Amino acid sequence: MPWNNQSGGGRRGGGGGGPWGQGPSGGPHQQPDLEELLKRSQDRLKQVIPGGAGPPGFLILLLMLGGGLLVAYFAFFFIVRVDEVGVVMRFGKFDRQVEPGLHLRLPYPIEEVQLPKFTRQNIIEIGFESARGRGGGRDVPAESLMLTGDENIVVVGFVVRWRIKDAQKYLFNIQKPDETVREVAESAMREAVGQSNIKSLITEGRLKTEEAVQKLMQEVLDYYGAGIAIEQVTMQKSEPPPQVIDAFRDVQAAEADKEKYQNEASAYAGKIVREARGDADRILLAAKGYQQQTVADAVGQSARFLKVYDEYKKAPDVTRKRLYLETMERVLGGAEKIILDGKAGQGVIPFLPLDQLQKRKEGGN
Amino acid sequence: MFKALTAALVALVGVAAAIAYLSMFIVHVNEQVVVLNFGSPKRVINQPNGKDGPGLYFRIPLVETVDYFDKRILDLDSPPYEVNALDQKRLMVDSFARYRITDPLLFYQAVRNESGVRERLKPIIESSLRRVLGSATFQDIVRDKREALTKRIAQQVNVDGKEFGLEVVDVRIKRADLPDQNQKNVFERMRAERQREAAEIRADGTGASNRIKADADRQVTIIKAEATREAERTRGDGDAERNRIFAEAFGRDPDFFAFYRSMQAYEVGMKAGDRVGETRMLLSPDSEFFKYFNNPNGGVLPGGQPKR
Repeated sequence: MPWNNQSGGGRRGGGGGGPWGQGPSGGPHQQPDLEELLKRSQDRLKQVIPGGAGPPGFLILLLMLGGGLLVAYFAFFFIVRVDEVGVVMRFGKFDRQVEPGLHLRLPYPIEEVQLPKFTRQNIIEIGFESARGRGGGRDVPAESLMLTGDENIVVVGFVVRWRIKDAQKYLFNIQKPDETVREVAESAMREAVGQSNIKSLITEGRLKTEEAVQKLMQEVLDYYGAGIAIEQVTMQKSEPPPQVIDAFRDVQAAEADKEKYQNEASAYAGKIVREARGDADRILLAAKGYQQQTVADAVGQSARFLKVYDEYKKAPDVTRKRLYLETMERVLGGAEKIILDGKAGQGVIPFLPLDQLQKRKEGGN
Repeated sequence: MFKALTAALVALVGVAAAIAYLSMFIVHVNEQVVVLNFGSPKRVINQPNGKDGPGLYFRIPLVETVDYFDKRILDLDSPPYEVNALDQKRLMVDSFARYRITDPLLFYQAVRNESGVRERLKPIIESSLRRVLGSATFQDIVRDKREALTKRIAQQVNVDGKEFGLEVVDVRIKRADLPDQNQKNVFERMRAERQREAAEIRADGTGASNRIKADADRQVTIIKAEATREAERTRGDGDAERNRIFAEAFGRDPDFFAFYRSMQAYEVGMKAGDRVGETRMLLSPDSEFFKYFNNPNGGVLPGGQPKR
């Protein structure tokens, strides 16, 4: 049957879907078929022919009129919802595109209406499944493990947000928009990851990769004439595989250790240098003290000497003698003395028991 | 009579509608159509670059049948193949192709429908993939020349695709991963590399720490040495000053100074301190001190040296 034999139609719903299979919103616009048309003509006939029975006949007429109106409404009008855009085709040819609202149309099969979700943002998750409501996502290893340019493996999970850019192209140019976006996204991400090193991927390189993927995807989709705009590519996850993540964590720990070592060393350095400055000040002050003391001492001594000398000059001999005797007095006054006659003691000195003398003295005390 | 007329009218309309239904068909923008006359192709509608576009068309009911083909870009997903790169490294390559039917008639004759395409095109894509990727190195596939390689695959597939009335728009490598076994090796290597890196970082840390400490020690040594130098200079200044002061004072009468200083030295040097008897002296009675000890007149004892 030609009307129904649509080769590409009837695919999974959403904004995509095969164009003429079943419209996204269930397609009330295509309701009237031949039977209804027939019914309607019968209605008209009955209207022309005055019915026999009074009130019940009138009631039936009213009901038929209402039904006719309803059918006419579905046949001649359609509603474009706020997030949709209406693409009207006349005999299969694109005729016009209309904004949200109530619109007139010719009944099927003359005109057909497609209502892609024009403003809706579609989200595709790759590399992980965010378990909505259940909490915590799950990796999809086949999708998430990627080879980097330096032959490492990285786990990547990302989200692509896309929107219809051109409703006609979107409807007429590609068969499976959802799948196409997904496959292009995977291919683009792997290409971008393949051109980066793991270091940059797990640290500061994410943003660059996201941009590269978005750009690449847009290029490919534009090349397909898909009428799709990639709005955003977000890397939810970009980390080393779980098999080696401990080694990567250890690298971070090592960085922290390095910092710690340096800080400790700096603390030590600060401490001992400060202490050394203190010591240096102490040494300098001690030296200053010595200098001042020495000079003061010298000044004092010389002053004393000069005083004595002034006295001495007046009577040198007497003073000299006096000084000598006074000194001896003080020196000998405090000492233990043994006076030996030079001649008599000559033989004795060697045998004098000095130690015992000492002891005796102490014992005496 | 009225009833019969009505019935006839209804029947007429019904027959007319049925004829219309059977003799008209619509070709949509995204479709191309081959009209067959008892099974043999007669005309093609809405072919790319063809003269008939989408719209309403007529056919002879029951004689002509209509086959619809998609005009959009269609997908063809290949299973992953294990490919040997030029440098004997193995890769699991998962690719997909996008194609479009350019000649529905040829397409109809050669492959009939999309599943037919799958049958026929898959081996072609696989062999082309192996041929092209096998002539490239692992690095080229993963990093450097992916775009160019896929372009080449698409070109090669296109040559065969033309015979099926289709055009391969694009071939892309969705995934190029290592086989499981090699993956383990990579994990091993990654771990080893990270461990080395961690060790290097720690060693750097220790090195830096040692450097900082050594530098601090050096600074300390220098600070102390400079302080000592300065201190010695200060002490020297002090000593010099002292010497100068003494020289100036004592230089007036060296002889008296010698005497005076000796007296002081005796006193300090032999000072008993607090305890009497600390110093013990053997004295000769004929010393100067005892000059008057034996002789109040001050005569020097026989044998004694007269002291000045």
